[in-house]
Amino acid sequence: MKRIFVAAITVIGLTAPFLARPHAQDLPRRLGGENGPRKAADVVKPVPKLADGTVDLSGIWTGGGDAPIPRLLKKGELDTLLLPWAKQKMASLKESDDPYFYCMPGGPLRITGGFAWRLVQAPTEHATHIFMLQEGNAHSFRQIFMDGRKHPEDPSPTWYGHSIGHWEGPTLVVDTIGLNDKFWLDSAGTPHTEKLHLIERYTRTDYNTLRRVVTIDDPGTFTKPFDVTFTAKLGTPDSEILEYFCIENNQWGERTNKDPLATPPH
Amino acid sequence: MRMKLGVLAIGLALSCLAVPVFAHHSWTAEYDSKKPVTVKGVVTKVEWTNPHTHFYIDSKDASGKVTSWNFEMASTPALERGGWSRKTLPVGTQVTVEGFGGRTVNERAIVTSFKGPDGKEFFVPKLGN
Repeated sequence: MKRIFVAAITVIGLTAPFLARPHAQDLPRRLGGENGPRKAADVVKPVPKLADGTVDLSGIWTGGGDAPIPRLLKKGELDTLLLPWAKQKMASLKESDDPYFYCMPGGPLRITGGFAWRLVQAPTEHATHIFMLQEGNAHSFRQIFMDGRKHPEDPSPTWYGHSIGHWEGPTLVVDTIGLNDKFWLDSAGTPHTEKLHLIERYTRTDYNTLRRVVTIDDPGTFTKPFDVTFTAKLGTPDSEILEYFCIENNQWGERTNKDPLATPPH
Repeated sequence: MRMKLGVLAIGLALSCLAVPVFAHHSWTAEYDSKKPVTVKGVVTKVEWTNPHTHFYIDSKDASGKVTSWNFEMASTPALERGGWSRKTLPVGTQVTVEGFGGRTVNERAIVTSFKGPDGKEFFVPKLGN
C-alpha cells in the first residue's frame, strides 16, 4: 500500500510542472476545454423571450452533444439496449477509426462538440429556419425547418438528416430522420443505422444553460428508445465562432504510420 | 483507512495528469506518454492551420547533427483565443519545446510546453475532451 501511495505522489510530482503554467491562471475560463469561447459570468438573468412569445435561444454555445453516450447512461445500461450485432460492432471498433478524425461530419449530436457553435433563428421572430453553425470538425451547419413542413417520404440519407422543429411551451422540439450511418454517434463509437430517429428537446433552463434531452430511437440498433441529456453553456457576448477547416492540414495517422492514411477506413 | 488513503492518492494523482488532449482527437492514440522529449532549436516553418497548428523545429546536437521535428499544437481558434498569432514565434526564433514523441515516428511530436528565446513561457492550451 505504501508503494502505491509513493507511486501516486511521484505521479503528482511529475505532473506538477504541467499544472504550474504561469499563463493558465491568468487567462479567462473557457468552454470546451480551453478551446472555446470565454465562459459567460454566472449572472442571474431571466431567460430571454422574443416578442412572438418563444424563447430566444440564439447565441454562442459550447458543448451539448459531445459526451460519450455510455457515460450518460447507468453503468452497463447501453449493453442492455444494444442488439447483438451492434454490441459486437462497438466492441470491434478502434478509436482511431472514428470518421471524425478524418474530418468527416460528426452528425447531429457531435455538431455541438468541443468547439463553439452558434444558434441562429431566422428570422429572429416567427423563425422559419433555425441554424446551428459549427466552428470545429467539418466547419459546417445544420438546418431545422420551423415553417410547419413535414418530413419528405423516404429521404436519401445524409450526415445531418432532415430536421423539423416546433415549440412546446419554452421547449424547442426537433424531430430528425433521414440520417446516414457513416458517422459515429459519439466518440465511444455507439453504432446506429439509417433507421435512426432523433427527438431533441432544447430548453434554456437559465440564462447561461441550454439543456438538450435527446430521445434516440433506432430499431436497427437498440432494443428500445432511450433518452440522454446533454448540457450546453453560453459564451460571453463578445464571443464569435472562428474559422476552422479540418481538412486543411489533417495529419491524423502520421505519428503512427510512416505513410499517412489518405482516406478514412470506412 | 490506509486502503482508502491509497485510493484517494491514486485518484488525486490521476486527476493531476494535465496532459494535452486536443479536441480534434485523443492525443494518446498518436503520441506516447512514455516518450517525453525536450527539444532546443530554431523554428524553420510555422503551419498556422487546422485541425491543428504545426511548428517545425531544427535541433542540433553536440556533434552538429541536425534533427528536424514536427511539433503539433492546438487549433488556430484555440491559440488565437489564448493570445497567439502566426507571428508569435516566427521562423528563425530560438525555442525550447517539451512534449511527447509520436508512437511510431518520434520526431512528429506533441507540445506540452513552449518557451521563447528569453525563457518566457507561452500558453499551451490544455484541452479537455
